[in-house]
Order: sequence, then structure tokens, then C-alpha cells
Amino acid sequence: MRSPLSRILSLVVATAAVLLGACSKDPAPSSAPGGATTPQSITLWWFQWAPADGLQELGREFQKETGIEVKVEQIPLGSYQEKVFLEFGAPRTRFDIVIGDSQWIGRGATKKLYLDLTEWLPTVVDLKTIHPRAAKYLCEYPEGSGKWFAAPCETDAVGLAYRKDWFDDPAEKAAFQQRFGRPLAVPQTWEEFKDVATFFQRPDAKRYGCSLPSDRSYDGLTMGVQNLLWAFGGRWHAETSNKVKGELDTPGSVAAIEFYKQLVKLGPNGAERMDYGQVLESFTNGSTAMILNYFAFFPGIHAQFGDKVGFAVVPAHEGKRVASLGGQGLSISTHIPPAQQELSKKFIAWFLQRKVQEQWITKPAGFTANSDILKSPEFRAKAPYNGPFAESVDSMQDFWNVPVFNELLTVTQRYVGMAVDGEMPTEEALRQLAEEKERILKEAGLL
Amino acid sequence: MSTTATATRQRGGSAIAWALVGPTLLLLIAFNVFPLLYNVALSFTNRELVGDESRWVGTANYTRVFGDPLFAGALRRTALFVLCAVGAELLLGFALALALVRDFRLKRTVLAVVLVPMMLSPAVMGLYWALILNGNYGVLNQILGAVDLPQPQWLTDRDLKFWSIVVIDVWMWTPFMALIALAGLSAIPPHLYEAAEIDRASRWRVFARITLPMTAPLLGLAVLLRATDALKQFDIVMATAGPNDAATQTLSTLMYQVVFRDGKIGLGSAFACVVLVVVIALATVFTRYLDHLRRAREA
Repeated sequence: MRSPLSRILSLVVATAAVLLGACSKDPAPSSAPGGATTPQSITLWWFQWAPADGLQELGREFQKETGIEVKVEQIPLGSYQEKVFLEFGAPRTRFDIVIGDSQWIGRGATKKLYLDLTEWLPTVVDLKTIHPRAAKYLCEYPEGSGKWFAAPCETDAVGLAYRKDWFDDPAEKAAFQQRFGRPLAVPQTWEEFKDVATFFQRPDAKRYGCSLPSDRSYDGLTMGVQNLLWAFGGRWHAETSNKVKGELDTPGSVAAIEFYKQLVKLGPNGAERMDYGQVLESFTNGSTAMILNYFAFFPGIHAQFGDKVGFAVVPAHEGKRVASLGGQGLSISTHIPPAQQELSKKFIAWFLQRKVQEQWITKPAGFTANSDILKSPEFRAKAPYNGPFAESVDSMQDFWNVPVFNELLTVTQRYVGMAVDGEMPTEEALRQLAEEKERILKEAGLL
Repeated sequence: MSTTATATRQRGGSAIAWALVGPTLLLLIAFNVFPLLYNVALSFTNRELVGDESRWVGTANYTRVFGDPLFAGALRRTALFVLCAVGAELLLGFALALALVRDFRLKRTVLAVVLVPMMLSPAVMGLYWALILNGNYGVLNQILGAVDLPQPQWLTDRDLKFWSIVVIDVWMWTPFMALIALAGLSAIPPHLYEAAEIDRASRWRVFARITLPMTAPLLGLAVLLRATDALKQFDIVMATAGPNDAATQTLSTLMYQVVFRDGKIGLGSAFACVVLVVVIALATVFTRYLDHLRRAREA
């Protein structure tokens, strides 16, 4: 008969064995019974939105042609970045291809998380067909260096959506003409934009002038403000270096933020803190005359409102027009076996073909970086937002994409937020922001 | 019985004791002691979330923590949050318990309803409150607008957003204070009140000399639990304001920002160590105070 001690010890050993078993790594995939090879597949991670559905549809086409299954896993936007970079902490990422934000590319390239595609990419696509701005900001690191760490997937820029039916209303036209002495038209300058927003700002009638990205939780405010910052002559850093002091804290930047402060007051309640979804919602609920948002959201607006809405490029200031870049590139994880990297390359090569890009632009919010397609009259005629989109790509510009972009974004959101909220004078906020940015860049060895 | 048999039995008993305590000890070491020590070690390195580089940087992270205005701001804000939220929860919870201690019709139903907020997930409640307090389409402002009252921007106005988060926390955790206070009130022997009545003690005197001292140790425990929890405030801030708002950033959300957004594991570990020391210091002071109360009560 066994003693109580030996029973307890047996129980402890059994429990430990179960726990260790549960904690052990997943077993390696085995081949199918009968020696048949396991079906090949690749996994892509992207955030949860309409273009990801379109990419999944294209993936099914790819599977028909090659037999390689494509799984597009959609992660909620709010936690996408954290999940992706936590995943890179593992020896084997669960994704083969990550469709990463343009700003991540510095981190992906310098930390060797993204596979270097420089040698391989020109063998499958003519790089001249990729729009130079998409190449510079979405694919190359350092910008314009010719070192490729991504292939363009979704090219995007901030644009303007407006209520065409309100703009065309004869009564509104007459009232605007009387008040401002010029016809009511799609604003070409930020000053005109402000006038139109002021004109339509009627809170008592639940009608509002404009909504702009202004959220503080990730990058909304920065992506909204920088459209004005560049147009008003400001910049995040010097043209040819990472120098910030004397570049950001300038009268042009101050004027841009001061102007932005006025614009957020011409929106619905809470307009000083709206994420992209809330900006969109303020428009789709029929209350707001104009919004600034990424073109990727515009097909949904068009589907809902039809001809009642119009689309345009962002306004300019004294002839200078710059659109904030959005979009993501396809990057292959270095934390996957070479065989999976080869499958991933096959998919990217297939995706970049002109015939596939022509399919891509038919998917909801599928926007291409293919210059030939962007230039083609067929593309521009296909949807009312395509023309302004193609024009915006020519003027788009991005925030920092150095490895410490996140820290730079954090301080930008904070100090610009304090300026917009009136918690700190704009000049002082920009002075402190410039100092903080230079500290971060120096610590990272980038200045 | 022989000495050898006794020694064998003692050895057997000791082995059983170790066998029973051992797994728990192992788990504690694996999940508490090791991570703590590892965190301390990381705080002296420049380790990042991604990449294999990790270099010893001495006390540079701690110098940064103590010189960082963000840390000072988050510490000040967290302290204010704990003071205001836990203070209000204590007062309101105790008042609620006093109202609920007497028997009345539907007492059980009322008690169940009152306890609902603390049963819900703080993250989910944070998201609901973000909808309720939304300046544009939030239900609260819709009601205020319907009766022609001003519609403040609860979650965006720089003077209001911090206090909105305090109010949400108070709404969630007042029932917890009430529950503990109710347990304390129910445990007071009725004969003490009867004796006070015979002595014709005033209501205030009864409250100050019997009710409050008798419930104080339990209330103290509740305050300790709530204060340590409030020091970690994360869910509601994340759901309503995000981690990077200068007016609402707490220590936990600052750490989240540093570790998961900026990817600075070494610096984040130093933040965590400093916060741990602060929490332990506060908890020690508080438990000593509770001991003092207990001894005074026994005396």
C-alpha cells in the first residue's frame, strides 16, 4: 500500500508534468497522413478595416492561381501597433507579412524585423511604376535611400469630403455670397475653408462646419495638424537633417497651429478630440459640411450619400498644398522560416502586377501606388474621389519614420495637444517640443 | 515509542509539509519573485521591446525617471486621483452603508442594484462612460441639451476631463466601500447602542464613540485596498482619454506609453520599480496605522 507522502508526491509530479506540458511550445506541424504535404499558406496581419476585406478577396484569387492560401488577419486598430511589435519579440511571428504603418519602417528596418527587399524587389516589378512619394515614405528606409523594406500595399492621403448638396443649394449660395462677397465653392485655401466652415456652423440647427482628426490617443491630431503645418511654411525637421530647433519652432508652425485651433471650434461638440472614426461619423450622420480624413474612408461615404457628396484635395496656403500621407506597405517578417519568406515574396510579386493592381483599385478603398494607373484617365473617371486622390499622392508627405518615431509622436501629440487646448501658449509648446525632439533624437544617435 | 521512530515521523511530517507548500512556493517564485528581480535587473539596462540589444546603463534610467516632468506630473495626478476618488468613495460608501444598515422593504433588491457597478469590468465601463459623456452625441449632454442646460465637454475640456474620470471611478467603487462598511456596521453588538440609549447619548456621540471606532478597522482595510487599486488606475483612463493626455495621464498609463508605445523596456522597468517602492511605502504606513487602530480598540 502506498504511503500518503508518496501519493502526494505523485500528485505533485503529475500536476507539474501537466503544467509543463501545457507551457511547452506548440508541436511542430506534421505532415498530413499518408505522407501528403501540408497545404502552403501565408498569414498577413493588418488592422481591421474595409481594405483588409478587399485584400482577403484578392488572396483567394492568388490561391486559385498558386494553391497558396492567404489568410488576412484583422487586428483592431487601437491595439495593432502593440500587438505587432510584441509579436516581433517572439522567435517566430504568427504573421508572415505585416502591413505596417509607414512610420514603422525605420524601426522595422534598423531592428532587422523587416526583410531587406532591395535586391529582390526590382526583379519582380519595375520600380519606376511605383509613385516616388509612395516609395520614399512607404517602402524605403532611410527615406529616398533606395533601400527597400516594404512593397506598397495601401497608398493613402488626407483629403476633403464635403456636402455637395449643401454647396449647391441656391439659398445657401445666395446667403454665402451676401456674407462673404464671393460664391460658395469648394475651398481652395485654408482661409476659404475656415469661411465655409464658419458659414455652415449652426449648432442650434445641429449643423456644423467641419471635423478634423484631433484625437490624442495615437496620431490623429498630428496627422490633422501637419496638413496645415507644411502649407503654412512649418516643418517637423530640416530638409536634409534631423535638426528640429529653429525648424519647427518657427512663425509658420505657430500660425498653422493657431489656425487649427480656430478650425476645431467650427465643428460639433467634442471636435477638439476626434479620432478618424468619429470624424467620419460626424459626416455620415449628416450633420457636418466638410471633413478632413483619409481617402480610404471616402468610398464608404460615397456609397452612403451618392451624388450628395463631393471630394477634393486638402486646401492650400499661399499656393502651398501638402497632404498628410497615410497608407501601409507589405513587409516580410525576418522571424519566419526562409520557406515562408519565399511564399510571402511570391504573394508580393503577384500583388504588384499591373493586372492585380487594377483589381485592387476595384476593392473597397483599395488605393494603389502604381503611377501608371494613378495617371490613367480610366482610374480618375472610375470614382469621384479617385481624381483628388491621385492629385493628393503628388503632394503627400509623412511624419517622422525614424526608429524612435513613436517617442517623437508621443511628444508631438502632447505638446501640440496642449497648444490646441490652450493649456500652453503655442510658441512655448513648440519650443519645448523642439527641445524634447532633439533630446530623443540625440539619445537615439540620430542627431 | 523509540527515538528513531519519532525522528522518522518528524522527517515524514516535514516532507509532507514541504510537499504541500512547495508547489505554491515554486509558483510564487516563478510568477512573483523572479519577475520582480528581473524587472529590477532590466531597469539598469537600455533593453527595448524589439531587438536583442541590451546594455548596462547604470542608474541612467532612474536619473531620467526622477528628472522627467512627465513622471512628476503623472505621480502628482495619480496622488490627486487616489486622494479624491478614494476619499469620495469612503464618504459616499459609508453614508450608503448607514442608509442600508436598517431593515426596510426590498432591502435585498436595493443592495443588489447598488452593488452592480463594482461587478462590471472597469474597461467595459470605461468605454460605456466614454459614450455617455461624449460631448457630441453622449446621452448626458443630450439630456442636458433637452432641458436647455449647458453641455460641457466632459472628456475633452482640459478642466473637466480629469474630474470626469474621478467621477467614473467613484461611481464604480463606492458600492465596494459601502459593502465593507455595511459588514462593519452589522458586526457592532446591539447592546452597545442599547447602553448608549440608556445613557441618553446624543446621536452624534453615538456615531463618534461607537459607530465610527467600531467600523474604522474595516474601513481602513477598504481604503487600503481601494488606494492600492486606484494607484494602478489604468482601464478608465485608457478607455476615456488614452494613455498620452497631459491632463489625465496616470502612472500606469505613462508606463504603458513608455513600454508598449515607445518600446523602452529598460526605462519602463525603472518607472515600475519607483512606483513599486511608492506603493509599498504607502501600504506599510497604512497597515501600521491599521495595527495601531486594532491595538487601540483591543485596549
